[in-house]
Amino acid sequence: MKKLPLQGRTLALLAVIIPLLVLFIYVGLRSGPLAPVAVTVASVESRAITPALFGIGTVEARYTYKIGPTFAGRVKRLEVHVGDQVKAGQVLGEMEPVDLDARVRSQESVFKRAEAALREAEARQAYAQTQARRYEQLFAVRLTSEEIVTTKRQELQIADAALSAAREDIARARSDREVLLAQRSNLRLIAPVDGVVTVRDADPGTTIVAGQAVVEVIDPKSLWINVRFDQISASGLAGGLPAHIVLRSRGGQTLKGRVLRVEPKADAVTEETLAKVTFDNKPEPLPPVGELAEVTVDLPALPAAPLIPNAAVQREGDKVGVWQIVDGDLHFSPVKLGTSDLNGYVQVREGLKNGDQVVTYSEKALTARSRIHVVEHIPGVSR
Amino acid sequence: MISLAGRDILHAWGKFVFTGIGLGLLIGVTLVMAGVYRGMVDDGKALLDNSGADLWVVQKDTLGPYAESSSLNDDVYRAILAMPGVSQAANATYLTMQVRKGESDVRTMVVGIAPGALGATPGWPPYLVAGRQITRGHYEAVADIATGFKLGDRLAIRRNHYTVVGLTRRMVSSSGDPMVFIPLKDAQEAQFLKDNDAIWQSRRRTEANPVFNRPGDPGLLDAVIASQSSNAFVNAVLVTLKPGHAPDEVAESIQRWKRLTVYTRAQMEDILVGKLIATSAKQIGMFLVILAIVSAAIVAFIIYSLTMDKIREIAVLKLIGTRSRTIAAMIMQQALALGVIGFVVGKITATFSAPAFPKYVLLTPMDSVAGFFAVLVICVLASLVAIRMALKVDPAEAIGG
Amino acid sequence: MSGKGIHIESLSKRYGDGDTAVFALRDVNMHVAPGEVVGLIGPSGSGKSTLLKCLGAVIEPTAGRMTLGDEVIYADGWKVRDLRALRRDKIGFVFQAPYLIPFLDVTDNVALLPMLAGVANGESRAKALELLTALDVQHRARAMPSQLSGGEQQRVAIARGLVNRPPVILADEPTAPLDSERAMAVIRILNDMARKFETAIIVVTHDEKIIPTFKRIYHIRDGVTHEEAGEGREFE
Repeated sequence: MKKLPLQGRTLALLAVIIPLLVLFIYVGLRSGPLAPVAVTVASVESRAITPALFGIGTVEARYTYKIGPTFAGRVKRLEVHVGDQVKAGQVLGEMEPVDLDARVRSQESVFKRAEAALREAEARQAYAQTQARRYEQLFAVRLTSEEIVTTKRQELQIADAALSAAREDIARARSDREVLLAQRSNLRLIAPVDGVVTVRDADPGTTIVAGQAVVEVIDPKSLWINVRFDQISASGLAGGLPAHIVLRSRGGQTLKGRVLRVEPKADAVTEETLAKVTFDNKPEPLPPVGELAEVTVDLPALPAAPLIPNAAVQREGDKVGVWQIVDGDLHFSPVKLGTSDLNGYVQVREGLKNGDQVVTYSEKALTARSRIHVVEHIPGVSR
Repeated sequence: MISLAGRDILHAWGKFVFTGIGLGLLIGVTLVMAGVYRGMVDDGKALLDNSGADLWVVQKDTLGPYAESSSLNDDVYRAILAMPGVSQAANATYLTMQVRKGESDVRTMVVGIAPGALGATPGWPPYLVAGRQITRGHYEAVADIATGFKLGDRLAIRRNHYTVVGLTRRMVSSSGDPMVFIPLKDAQEAQFLKDNDAIWQSRRRTEANPVFNRPGDPGLLDAVIASQSSNAFVNAVLVTLKPGHAPDEVAESIQRWKRLTVYTRAQMEDILVGKLIATSAKQIGMFLVILAIVSAAIVAFIIYSLTMDKIREIAVLKLIGTRSRTIAAMIMQQALALGVIGFVVGKITATFSAPAFPKYVLLTPMDSVAGFFAVLVICVLASLVAIRMALKVDPAEAIGG
Repeated sequence: MSGKGIHIESLSKRYGDGDTAVFALRDVNMHVAPGEVVGLIGPSGSGKSTLLKCLGAVIEPTAGRMTLGDEVIYADGWKVRDLRALRRDKIGFVFQAPYLIPFLDVTDNVALLPMLAGVANGESRAKALELLTALDVQHRARAMPSQLSGGEQQRVAIARGLVNRPPVILADEPTAPLDSERAMAVIRILNDMARKFETAIIVVTHDEKIIPTFKRIYHIRDGVTHEEAGEGREFE
């Protein structure tokens, strides 16, 4: 009663059908919505974190000297160019004097005329004095009348007055001349500090209105960064905190700096807090003013507290929390979060304790009914 | 009782199994086709799920932000936050663009996410598969793994470079482009900032305009240029609700008092599924119909020819007294067996080939079940021709002469 | 036992009506007793196939009367409702070609009829095996039909015809594909079986080799039968 022919055929058929069925069941259970969700877990650990703030800003000069003439005029010469180093007191250029020299000469003539007038007044006064004294003596021996003596005294007084007027005229003429000379010296554009010329707005021959700058000079020692921090992540920002500065042109290089001050006025439109960060050491070569810089400010380290990766934090309804694994089952634990750092760790104030297992990464969004299986890495993530 | 169909299949199992596998590949294509449609719908839903929003506030009378462009001032969210029932409101920008990494570039949807409390702010990627969420306010990015980027990669979006700090999965736009999340301010810049040449030209144009460049007013030009290059717009405000508030009511009140257009989740789904992919869905529907007809034709042909091969035996069976029911059952069982083999093979091939498709293919169990019954119905219908023919066979033919 | 076996009276089969009517059978009378093997001989077109089909309840005669055992199956109209069951239970067929079902093994080919009639598989197979043993092909019980020789196939076909112990077996040219030795063997088996199972066997043939073996022969020509005594030659 051997069923050989059929059995052989049946075996061959089973050899095809059974793998197919096994594959089919595997496919049904291991893929699609029925498949367990791959997750990775992390335990809550207590560690100290150094929170930090991140902002971007532009390099600015703390002091910018805009140098220009005090009155309208034409530029006569301008000897410095953008980028030139200048010393305090150095003459950078000069304005055209126009009629100033002629006016100085005319004032000198006025002065000389006043001197001549003074000499004349002195001569008149000396003569009036001599006359007055002679008639006083004659009157004492009654050789002349009292009326003549009185006249001579009055003449002397007039001559005295004329003399002092002439003296004042001289002083006035001298002052007028000094005014013109002072104006003349103001035609020169002089550097107030040691610095670098950053802007040259006019060339010789250009007419400038009063107050308009001809050149701008900055003091390189006063370079700082005007940094903007988002207000949401600006808590703890204060003057004196150490900062790391990365200039856009020097990607790999971190410069040390310090927060100089936090501006009392924030930007209401962009919702940013402004702060000034200075360099500890003057960067060489100097970064151009206006260059973009990324600034990381280190806040004081916080005492150890339970930490979780920020990837673990999820929202379920209106609660913020984490998916916790308790006895192999998922359940959502609402948490209160504290400070976070820039490396993606965040403190847990309430809701978790050290050693708790929380889901950090998951293949898809989790629900309380999700079947999970814990893996080292989520499949598909290239390392 | 003996199973004639089973015995026949066992007898010619090779032919049967290979025919089944061939049919299975066809069914696999059909299932993948359905999966492509489900994938498109799921892309749209994933987009909505991942935004984490209950309401979408967009420019008045637009279908934004996904189906049409929409732009709002970026301080609108403050006013919305003050509305009753609103728990969180966050700005978001969406821009489909090529993101460069080294030599290559990838088509992505760049999403600008507003800074805010961790986990609570809508718009953020709800879960990651590697790395971390964005912690810096600038120049960090979370990318979908479908972009092919890895942690630590440097991406270029417009003129800025971004470091990939986190990876997500299934974060796609409604057209299936993977998302790259970057901080909102960077995204606003990326969306509205012109290239440098354009900025230079715009500045020159402004300078050439005597109204803005007055000799007596040296500061005016700078102020005008600064105001031209700033951007204070976003595409949408994502809103989450406090518990106990109906989305429709809150939407209604925002719509009424803020004079903006607001969509609820259901309306958004309607826009994405009903409007964005409507024609594609019909296209796929047509393919499904054609594939169903082709499958039916193939099953019918196979069963027909298998029956034709046995026509003599069927005559004998009828002559020796086999009931028509038995013969019909034999043919139908064979058709069904063919369908089952085909379905199993199809399901397996569809599942294993689905990840190879460039766009998402979602095979749902309900589709598989529906597909299974559709296959059975098709097989039954296809076997009717063969059954009809078998029943018409005259038992007298067996006697001959 | 005169009532048993198959009994045909005035059976006629007419194709068409009126002027174009053609009588394939005309008042055929026939009687085959249980245990008897008779020959039915006639040239092509003589009506022997039509007669066989009428006997096999495959086509309906136009007039006459047929009795199978005690049961009147036809009297100017079918008297039996389920002709399939009739064929299955009361009539055994042996064909010119064996027409075994290629996807069933020998046993199941034979056991198929009882199985279809609702007999349990085991019981049906036991019956089949019994017959196969009687026909001396039990050693091929598990073989597929394609693995059998022509004679073995024919023996299996006979076993199938006999399995339900039908009162009548209709054999249509059962020896045509066989050489004379095997043909004789088949006829001997039919005779043995007829005796053993009390079956009336009608053998339609024009095989000269076997005609001498029949005790009784019906000649059919133009739809009319003539009975004559055969040689009834015994076998070795």
